[in-house]
Amino acid sequence: MNAIELINISKWYRKDFWVQKSCAVSNVSLAVKQGAVTGFAGPNGAGKTTSIKMIMGLVRPDSGSITLYGRRNDDPDSRKGIAYLSEQPYFYSHLTVEESLRFASELLQLSKDSVKSEISRVLTSVELQDKNRSKVKSLSKGMQQRLNMAQALLGKPHTMILDEPMSGMDPPGRRLFRRLFRQLAENGTTIFFSTHVIDDIEAVCDEVIVLSKGNLHYSGRVDSLLEKGYKGKEFIISGMTNEIRKQLIACGCTVNAQPDTTLLFVPSGIDPQVVQTKLRGEPIHYHAITDRRMSLEELLYNNSTLQEQ
Amino acid sequence: MRVTLAIALNTFRETIRNSVLYNILLVAVAALGLTLTFGDLSPFSRVQVLTDFGLASMSITGLLLAVFIGVGMLGGEISSKTVYSVLTKQVSRESFIAGKFFGLLSILLLNFFLIAVLFFVFIKLLGVNPSYSLFTAVLLLAMEMSIIISASILFSSFTTPTLAAIFTIGFYIAGHLNNLVGIGAQQQSSALWKTTLNFLYYVLPDLEHFNVRTRLIYELPIPDGYILQTFLYGICYTILLLFLSMIVFSKKDL
Repeated sequence: MNAIELINISKWYRKDFWVQKSCAVSNVSLAVKQGAVTGFAGPNGAGKTTSIKMIMGLVRPDSGSITLYGRRNDDPDSRKGIAYLSEQPYFYSHLTVEESLRFASELLQLSKDSVKSEISRVLTSVELQDKNRSKVKSLSKGMQQRLNMAQALLGKPHTMILDEPMSGMDPPGRRLFRRLFRQLAENGTTIFFSTHVIDDIEAVCDEVIVLSKGNLHYSGRVDSLLEKGYKGKEFIISGMTNEIRKQLIACGCTVNAQPDTTLLFVPSGIDPQVVQTKLRGEPIHYHAITDRRMSLEELLYNNSTLQEQ
Repeated sequence: MRVTLAIALNTFRETIRNSVLYNILLVAVAALGLTLTFGDLSPFSRVQVLTDFGLASMSITGLLLAVFIGVGMLGGEISSKTVYSVLTKQVSRESFIAGKFFGLLSILLLNFFLIAVLFFVFIKLLGVNPSYSLFTAVLLLAMEMSIIISASILFSSFTTPTLAAIFTIGFYIAGHLNNLVGIGAQQQSSALWKTTLNFLYYVLPDLEHFNVRTRLIYELPIPDGYILQTFLYGICYTILLLFLSMIVFSKKDL
């Protein structure tokens, strides 16, 4: 069973006094596997936040169905064990940090005996243990986002849905969140998070789903996507003769002569073994051999590479 | 139930920490204080004037609470998106509305209790013991305010806080003028107007049922069963308005 499943979901918004309709999400079907860390990528206005709001039941889809662990998401019980972290921290400003977490614990219906230790655990995990008596409104935005994360961690959820969790965070905060994600993933927590930052996807995700202009653009494993971006092998060598150079260019390789070395690029269509056989017996010295790939960002936002999805 | 109580408690705590509540209380206390002075200028006895002013200031205070705190409470939660931190958990929208209502009602009851204590102390200072009818009048006012609060929740579930405030005040005024609407409907010759006014007459609550000030001032008897019937009427209206709020809010995109 998938953790999250969207089937033919569409959402339209009306604007200009209900005269015009604009499509936020169009006929999107996607699935998030249990136990996987899934990135949800796409440019601004792609429909990521709308999709996440629909998953959490904050926005109703115009068509299609959404299930969380097999249960329709319009049933509040379907959200049991699922934590949500919004892009912006939204807290009651009249509460202190501890009161906020206590209120969240009540809503999660945690047992009264465990509330105190649970609050202490989550505050320690986001490094806010000395701020429990501070008013939420006195915290900086980064600290509020940490508190947001602390609230999401209450009750040890099995699934976390995060909307741009690291937006506006400073580098130490980002490192802390990445570390937390890795720990949660190691413990088998299903994580589904939207982001613009492709590095975050490469660093922590197993799977990636890409939306573009409200449509599904790609859905699959990050490593198989990276394989699609394989361009070829690059050799930095010295001692190449003109005869060999001509033969390699004739094969389809690219050869760039540098002052002391030569940059030889063997595109993905050519077997590097064939090239190495040609070079065998020549007075050639190898300095480096590397794979040349498209970056994940190029891959995610390049239509032609993703057409096969 | 635990979730509804948690939301109600949070609403109560939020309002207690809101300065608007204290300003409204201050207005009520000032009105009661002034009554002691104005009592001498009136042809009625000071107790009659104090009763009239006291109950009127409680009614106005309740309306102010419903408008400034009630409307802002739900509308503010939607616009500031704090509602996200509640509704993304295992909380139904119905529980959220119920929690908001009970939180606001508890604030209103606390507010009424404080004003009523002061009101009864003033009456006692004038050498008169507060009557049982006076207690029931305060209870009926509280019931009326429960309707106003649920109306403010209904209006804020589908429109902006400003419009919801205007609608709530309009609802209060229309509710108190409901019998005039009924008379107007009977006197209309146009079928369209007659139907429209009749529709308004039956849809809007008659809030004058909750107003027994005149009876108290002129020491007229309150008929047997009147309090119970009016209470039931108020409870039915409150439930109806809350039910409508839940339906509207459950379909709202946040």
